Amino acid sequence: MKFEEFKKPTWFQMNLRAVWGRAYPRIIGVNRELSWVFFETVLPLLGVAAFVYIYKALEAPPQYIGYVIIGGAMTAYWMNVLWSMAAQMYWEKEIGNLELYLIAPISRMSVLGGMALGGMFSSSVRAISTIVVGIVIFGISLSLPDPLMFAGIFIFTMIALYGMGMMFASLYMLWGREAWHMSSLFTEPIYLVSGFYFPVKGFTTMLGNPGTWIAAGASIIPITLGLDGMRQCLYPGNTDGFLPLWLELAILMVLSVVFLFLAKYSLAYMENLGKREGRLTMRWQ
Amino acid sequence: MAVNRKSRSMGISQKSLKSMRRSIPRYPTGNYHPNKENVESRHRNARTLKWSAWLGWQMESNWADPFLFMVYSVAKPIAASLILVVMYSIIAAIGGGPDIGLFHYMFVSNAFFMYVGQVLFGVAQIVHDDREHFQTMKYIYISPSNYFSYMIGRSVSKMVITTFAVIITMAFGVFLLNVPLNIFTINWLLFMAVMVIGIFCIMAFGLALAGLSFLTAKHQGGMNEGIAGLFYLFCGVVFPVSILPSWGMSFAKILPITYWLELVRRTLNLGVGMDSTLSGASTAYCMAILCLSTLIFSIVALAIFKVGDTVARQKGLIDMTTAY
Amino acid sequence: MARYAVEVKNLNRTFTTKAVRGKSKKEIVKALNDVNLTINEGELFGLLGPNGAGKTTLIKILCTLLLPSSGEARVLGHDVHKDTNAIRQKINMVSGGETSGYGLLTVRENIWLFSQLYGIPSKEANRRIDMLMKELKLEHKKNSKVRTLSTGLRQKANMVRGFMTDPALIFLDEPTLGLDVNASRLIRDFIKNWIREKPSRTVLLTTHYMVEADELCDRVAIINDGRVLACDTPDNLKKLIHQDSVLKLEIRQVDNVTAFENIAGVRNFTHSNDMASGITRLKFILDDEAIVADIVAAVPKSGSKILSVQKTEPTLEDVFVALVGRGLTNHEV
Repeated sequence: MKFEEFKKPTWFQMNLRAVWGRAYPRIIGVNRELSWVFFETVLPLLGVAAFVYIYKALEAPPQYIGYVIIGGAMTAYWMNVLWSMAAQMYWEKEIGNLELYLIAPISRMSVLGGMALGGMFSSSVRAISTIVVGIVIFGISLSLPDPLMFAGIFIFTMIALYGMGMMFASLYMLWGREAWHMSSLFTEPIYLVSGFYFPVKGFTTMLGNPGTWIAAGASIIPITLGLDGMRQCLYPGNTDGFLPLWLELAILMVLSVVFLFLAKYSLAYMENLGKREGRLTMRWQ
Repeated sequence: MAVNRKSRSMGISQKSLKSMRRSIPRYPTGNYHPNKENVESRHRNARTLKWSAWLGWQMESNWADPFLFMVYSVAKPIAASLILVVMYSIIAAIGGGPDIGLFHYMFVSNAFFMYVGQVLFGVAQIVHDDREHFQTMKYIYISPSNYFSYMIGRSVSKMVITTFAVIITMAFGVFLLNVPLNIFTINWLLFMAVMVIGIFCIMAFGLALAGLSFLTAKHQGGMNEGIAGLFYLFCGVVFPVSILPSWGMSFAKILPITYWLELVRRTLNLGVGMDSTLSGASTAYCMAILCLSTLIFSIVALAIFKVGDTVARQKGLIDMTTAY
Repeated sequence: MARYAVEVKNLNRTFTTKAVRGKSKKEIVKALNDVNLTINEGELFGLLGPNGAGKTTLIKILCTLLLPSSGEARVLGHDVHKDTNAIRQKINMVSGGETSGYGLLTVRENIWLFSQLYGIPSKEANRRIDMLMKELKLEHKKNSKVRTLSTGLRQKANMVRGFMTDPALIFLDEPTLGLDVNASRLIRDFIKNWIREKPSRTVLLTTHYMVEADELCDRVAIINDGRVLACDTPDNLKKLIHQDSVLKLEIRQVDNVTAFENIAGVRNFTHSNDMASGITRLKFILDDEAIVADIVAAVPKSGSKILSVQKTEPTLEDVFVALVGRGLTNHEV
């Protein structure tokens, strides 16, 4: 048995390999288990369609159908962050992988980054399917006069969102079943405050000043401003936007940095706490 | 079934198989009483149902745990209802002027639809969790208790938790959103009958999904929204069925949940007359269709559960792990 | 002077269990109690102890998965508290009965994934995987999904995963747990060969199979209730009770063995029943051979008959019984 020596990778190379390594099962796995196409892309479209029909029943202006479709598409990423990244840490612990990740000489963010990257594959398929259904079946028309701004909003929403997911993951690393309940809690209430099915400015329309405060508070969740920004980009000229686009982009940039920093800090803190309390590898909690 | 499969692979004809079966004594000799075994089996299934309901209660919710109570009985259902409230209010504010009856229609249906969402998502999750997370499915499966009874027991706990959520949501609607529910005008007998049949039907759907879950990988999220989404879209939950295209309306008319929700609205006297598809149908007619379609769907659901169960055993999927 | 691969000083670890309302109270469990231990570089060191003795807790601390409550632990010269990354570059771990990995991936893909966490280039990782799979007779399963593997094959895959990074120190936590004789032997031979190939390689093996520890380990520490009771080479450990005689008796099966308890001059006594052959096997560690007569005389009192008598050399199990007061598999006395 002879192990060839290899050039010691730099810290960056090593973590890049770890990202790709963890992304691999997500990308390959979903293709091997094709039932995901049905469960992860076809079925969720039905829920989105139901919200489209609500607006049809309410005889809402046509752009509202587009707003629902955009919200439905972005739901894929939110679900990916909640269930396939944050809560996944709990799952990794349960199946015995977490301790193998933790004894490896890499940043924990690389493992989470790999999960995110791998998960983005299926989330993007779902998101694109939703948009296609919106255009083909519900006849929404989208225009994109400023693709650069749209790309900026989307990219920084993703960075901030996945940064926040990593921060959650640090909690889930220690938690047992509470993690599952927490992800469950972050479903409908976040759909509500982040305006997945209506423009977040609707709170102001409905409640006046207190509504504005709700929307402002919800803006700490990156998907709130991400959704609002994308709706403004794809439906230019409407007055349903919460903040000016440039401001939303700037806030998303700040949130990206803040969440990535907080994720790094909280992962290190929670790992240390877990090691102290002995909960890091405790299964069946 | 196992004998049948094995015999096929051994090249034994069905005719010889039948004669072989006839030659096997039907009951053991001695003090054995088939009736006694039936009674024991019934008791065993009743016990399974009881402890699995208790297990579900312990794991998924617990009245005594304020956090879980807040999550499942307050935060999630209220937030889900508020999404509709905001959607309605925005359109009302920008001058769409939708009928307030439509709001009552969607509010009450959405509240009661929680039973469907919770049970359908719950059973798939139970199968996948028991199989891959706790890895206890194989032990429950090989025990003399019936897995079928176990699933029903677990669904019962979901039903109880959901009942709290529905009551809180309705109270929220009545006291804070002026939903005009008058408990003195409700035909409670009819309401209880509708609820019993509806819940029976939902549990049957749950079992069908459990059968399918035996065969599927552990997917996250999508299953949650998806299966319930099918009924959410086609059963007239948050909009009248008449909004759907004609093929969608036809599909809605064969789904028992459509009739169940219509009957719930009628018995509670909320959002009645909003849906032109069923407004001409009498309550007795709706009840008859609900009973009939529940019966048919229950038989189909049972068959799906059995097929899922058999195929899972054939393919060795009872204890598979599918993490990715 | 040999460098220590592991150095543990006054190590303590306590866990606080949660209370279950109405059923149990909050409890403080002392998993490691003032443990002192050194393992030399290049050594195959065994930690021998029953379930719950503290073996896995010690391994978790040394693997950087758990912090000590107090005391000091150094791995390859690095502090487990402060220098975690330096330790992680050089170690790996394999646990028995492990079910890690992703069910939908093949064996090769799963192991490759873990190689990427150590920055091994894919080409070299795949070469190592193939080589180790061949060595552990797993190459025919390399393209099978992990979920389809038997316990033995899965454990071999775990071994490939752990050894593939060529660690300077590998922790093997009950690596042959639940395996059949052939698979266990293959894994034991593999471990022996691996450490022989390079003098700087170190193995810390935990087991509760005495024969395994006896066969493999350069030195063994016997651990019970979080305390290290003895630590030496297997031969030296046996010498601890060498002056004692070990007497084995096979008698016709009896359910009650009280006649053999409290015989003066018996340091330790264990028994087991072989239901299939109707035999009760008794084992005595004696302070003095003169009391053999008393033991033989107790047989008719127990209502049984002697089938065979044997005086043997002590094994590690005898050492364990002498130190702990009970066997690993027998009844407590």
